[in-house]
Amino acid sequence: MPEIVVEGVKKTLGGLLTLGDINIKAKDGAFAGILGPSGCGKSTLFNIISGLMQPDAGHVFIDGRDVTGRTGRVSYMRQKDLLLPSLNVLDNVSIPLVLKGWPKKKARAEAEKHLGRFGLAGFQGYYPGQLSGGMRQRAAMLRTYLFSSDILLLDEPFASLDAITKRQMHAWLIDVFYQIRPTVMFITHDVDEALYLCDKVYVLSECPTVVNLEIDVPFCRPQHGRTIVDPEYSAIRDAIMEALAI
Amino acid sequence: MTRGDGSFVSSCVKQDDTKEPSPCVLVVLLMKDKINNIANVVVPLAFVSFLLVIWEYTVRWRSIPDWILPGPLQIARTFAENAPMLTKHAQTTLTECLAGFAIAIAFSFVIAFLMDELPLVKKAIYPLVIASQTIPIVSVAPLFIIWFGYGILPKIIVVVLVCFFPIAISLLGGLAAVDKDYLELFRSMQATRLNIFRMVKLPLALPSFFSGLKISAAYSVMGAVIGEWLGAKQGLGGLGAYMTLAQRSFQVDRVFAAILAVTVCSAALFALVCLIEKITIPWNRLS
Ligand SMILES: Nc1ncnc2c1ncn2[C@@H]1O[C@H](COP(=O)(O)OP(=O)(O)O)[C@@H](O)[C@H]1O
Ligand SMILES: [Mg+2]
Repeated sequence: MPEIVVEGVKKTLGGLLTLGDINIKAKDGAFAGILGPSGCGKSTLFNIISGLMQPDAGHVFIDGRDVTGRTGRVSYMRQKDLLLPSLNVLDNVSIPLVLKGWPKKKARAEAEKHLGRFGLAGFQGYYPGQLSGGMRQRAAMLRTYLFSSDILLLDEPFASLDAITKRQMHAWLIDVFYQIRPTVMFITHDVDEALYLCDKVYVLSECPTVVNLEIDVPFCRPQHGRTIVDPEYSAIRDAIMEALAI
Repeated sequence: MTRGDGSFVSSCVKQDDTKEPSPCVLVVLLMKDKINNIANVVVPLAFVSFLLVIWEYTVRWRSIPDWILPGPLQIARTFAENAPMLTKHAQTTLTECLAGFAIAIAFSFVIAFLMDELPLVKKAIYPLVIASQTIPIVSVAPLFIIWFGYGILPKIIVVVLVCFFPIAISLLGGLAAVDKDYLELFRSMQATRLNIFRMVKLPLALPSFFSGLKISAAYSVMGAVIGEWLGAKQGLGGLGAYMTLAQRSFQVDRVFAAILAVTVCSAALFALVCLIEKITIPWNRLS
């Protein structure tokens, strides 16, 4: 079961207690949002979940197994696409498979199957420098997906895109989500983006960071692209704003 | 009705005008481009010609003797007359250059890889790399001749000394400048150190590496010439030896012809590196 549980994680960085005591959970097939002020340690939390960083205290469980401080189960996608300029799209997205020891040919064939779903069909031979920002982010997401297809950790994936492209990416992401049903953790500092996509939102405080608010979002991922008019919307939005102390 | 039609037509015409420039405008635009291209070639050529004319004129007007300063026409004549000889010497010089260049590149890669992967090695070697650049070549080249004789080896060593620093420093800089988010991403995908170096660091460092390579390409001929210059009497020849011997017999026109040949060789090496860069980093041209 692709379930992520973060239990009592603490981390001091540069002498400053950054993560105070974090308890977060993303159930199988959930789309959990993490909102918090800049510099509160959201990316640090993902570094800990992906095993790049060892927490000072606490544990990370994925599929019910303790994976604290061990890489290999999940990777995460960042705001920067981090595609290699020297490789074309197909070779870029097949990197995780190649690193897992697949022969190059087989890795390419496997990656090619998913290009269409990620809106990259016909672009396999293009270099990252030739693609739009939105396409580069989709390629980066496909690369993340090919590393672990059942869990996606997304760290402000759309923060560098313009408003219109961002909206298109939301619609596309919702569509893909319903096709592949992964467990998602989604970091953002955009409240409306979180309400639009996530079925649960965790609001983090300033350093030392704790979870200020944990709230369910009943109206997320609408089938239309219009403004959400659910009467609960403003109440939930206000609660989140208050937790963010805006 | 008629009025509406009329305005429709006029707006149509207007749109046509703004969206697609008329042939006339196109020609002007094309010409502007062409004129710019031509200017890029003509302006420097004209300036150099201007300097040459002044030089020639001064030499004749002041009747400066050939053994002090020959005019450009005289130099051109000497260059043409001695072309076979100069070509032979240039071959020797270029052989030393390419050998030294290749060794410097190989050496830089080994050193840069070790320094990048092992911080202790970096701490230990970095001062030495800097020191290698501060060595006055002219003072150590005679030592190389004492140690290694009058063969090709001391010249190659001088070229290596001259080329090593720019290449190693630019490669190291390129490796160190790789965004650490790339490294973390690949670490989280369980890439081995060797894979990270091969797939991420090296390609991302290539542009910086090539800028060092270009500087070295331009310098390498100078290094070989210095090596030949100091061992001119019993050496294998080369442009540096030719230059020295010409100088000792006050054939200043031959010195200048040799200088011209050195410049041509340096420019050719530089162009070769640029070509290799274009072939090795094709993605740079795409964006
Ligand atoms: N490796 C590190 N060493 C010391 N301090 C760090 C390190 N990484 C991040 N920090 C600091 O920890 C804080 C949280 O960083 P980060 O997790 O990137 O925040 P966020 O993603 O929420 O904006 C920041 O103040 C940052 O400067
Ligand atoms: Mg961050």
